[in-house]
Amino acid sequence: MTETILKVDNVSKAFGALRACDRVSLDLRLGEIHALIGPNGAGKSTLIKQIAGNLRPDSGRIEFLGRDVAALDTVERARMGLGRSFQISAVIAEFTVLQNVVLAVQGARGTSFHFLRGALSDRAVTEAARLQIERAHLGGREAVRASDLAHGERRRLELAMALALRPKAFLLDEPMAGMGADGVAEMTGLLDGLRHEAPILLVEHDMDAVFALADRISVLDYGQIIASGTVDEIRAHPEVRRAYLGEEDAA
Amino acid sequence: MGRETLLNAAIALGLVAVPVWAHLAGEPFIITLTTKAVILALAGVGLNIALGHGGLISFGHAAYFGLGGYAAGILAHHAQTFTPLMSAPFIIEGTKFMPVIWLVAVIVAGLAALVIGALSLRTSGVYFIMITLAFGQMLFFFAISWPAYGGEDGLVIYVRNEFPGLNTLDPIQFFALCYVILGLALWFSHRFGRSPFGLALNAARQNAERVQTVGIRPFRLRLTAFVISGMITGLAGALFADLNRFVSPSMLSWQTSGEIMIFIILGGVGRLYGPVAGAALFIALEHFLGGVSDYWLVFVGALLLLVVLFARGGIIGTLAGREVAHD
Ligand SMILES: Nc1ncnc2c1ncn2[C@@H]1O[C@H](COP(=O)(O)OP(=O)(O)O)[C@@H](O)[C@H]1O
Ligand SMILES: [Mg+2]
Repeated sequence: MTETILKVDNVSKAFGALRACDRVSLDLRLGEIHALIGPNGAGKSTLIKQIAGNLRPDSGRIEFLGRDVAALDTVERARMGLGRSFQISAVIAEFTVLQNVVLAVQGARGTSFHFLRGALSDRAVTEAARLQIERAHLGGREAVRASDLAHGERRRLELAMALALRPKAFLLDEPMAGMGADGVAEMTGLLDGLRHEAPILLVEHDMDAVFALADRISVLDYGQIIASGTVDEIRAHPEVRRAYLGEEDAA
Repeated sequence: MGRETLLNAAIALGLVAVPVWAHLAGEPFIITLTTKAVILALAGVGLNIALGHGGLISFGHAAYFGLGGYAAGILAHHAQTFTPLMSAPFIIEGTKFMPVIWLVAVIVAGLAALVIGALSLRTSGVYFIMITLAFGQMLFFFAISWPAYGGEDGLVIYVRNEFPGLNTLDPIQFFALCYVILGLALWFSHRFGRSPFGLALNAARQNAERVQTVGIRPFRLRLTAFVISGMITGLAGALFADLNRFVSPSMLSWQTSGEIMIFIILGGVGRLYGPVAGAALFIALEHFLGGVSDYWLVFVGALLLLVVLFARGGIIGTLAGREVAHD
């Protein structure tokens, strides 16, 4: 048995009458990419937010590294090792690439409460940041402000920030959203190499990327997991083809 | 050297040149006026930590300014009337010794900022502005209605407090003292802005959720910044009391809070020398326009409007352009 890093067990969340997550169960195991797919409004981001601690589930249980995280907030879960990227790019716009990643390194090391030394003059910190910048293929862009980056670069900056946390699991919400074909290919290559560093729960709409990357896929529809399995199982699943892959594949 | 550095150096030099000229020309009033600008700039440097770096729109910084002022006034009052500040359980005497007064001012202002910050930082936006204003007004009315220290009439410091090796009654020497303190505060503010803490605080202003996801708690950053901010403004209050040799509840009024905020907006929010440029301009306008018309504040209002509408970076932003991030 491979080790389970993250376990979502029977989690439900309603917004008024809308059941955004309805008894969702899934797990994330060491070394894998587990893709979570489903149409818009299926509840994918809502699930990610509950795992990250931004939303509290109405019922159910979330375990990370074998521990029930119900009592922990976003900050504590991040410190435990949840590295997260947002569906809508969330980087510090006025900061440069280097400052953004240094912020993440500081967070990981817990060294933010220093008032007089320079944030960018600590070699150990900036070296750690530059390493992740290189890995996210942003080498040479350190001094560019995040607001001046191209869309795809900003998404990779988010990834660099998540990497800098040295997380035990990645939660990536549509890291390829809005990217062109080249960007998707580049990000696919990056994520492919990451799974051995920490498993990835990947929400993604780009099916080529999902089929290329995923070890397992879960399909969410109207808040419910309607199928879960390997790439081949999901491709062949009749309900999935009807509900999600739709006409496109039937043709 | 960047444009902003040059501009800052010019402002720093100008602030020395004016009183030195006034000293040689025998114009002590101009020295006092410049000293006032320097002290108010210091109050602004304090607020700039919360407002500029932290994005915390405190409309109640008069509280710390006034507490610093009252710390100076009350300690001097007990020293000059030879009555102890407290006699039970142990005796605490007043003092005319500035370093002790400053220490007390900074601690009192810092503690007040800790309590007020801990309560008001649970809110944000307009609520934060209102709650900080409310705390400021509470202290204002408390000072007015507390007769022991002059109530509405305030407290007079008969002779300016003392600093070893200096004759603080000499305007140019008192100016030099205030100028050095402003310089130290600016040095701190500069280092602070570039420190790991400054980085995290500025990040939390722009995107608090992002800061949480890297494992840093915005509330702790903000509260710490708020306390440091209050301490610096409190120190300015103690100097202001000594400048005027007088403390009154007006130091605690919301108008004072507004003025400190105006310095920052005029000078450039978050810019190192923003509060200095803003306070200097404000005092210059008060001096020149105040002599011409009683409605000089209307001009300040119009200027403020122009800055907010057309020159968001204030004086520093307009003259020096966008801040350089790093190379
Ligand atoms: N904070 C909220 N309040 C009310 N409804 C919400 C909220 N967040 C999401 N929803 C609704 O929940 C459903 C699932 O949303 P979401 O999780 O963002 O879907 P997905 O990420 O799969 O596209 C949608 O119908 C959305 O409108
Ligand atoms: Mg979504």
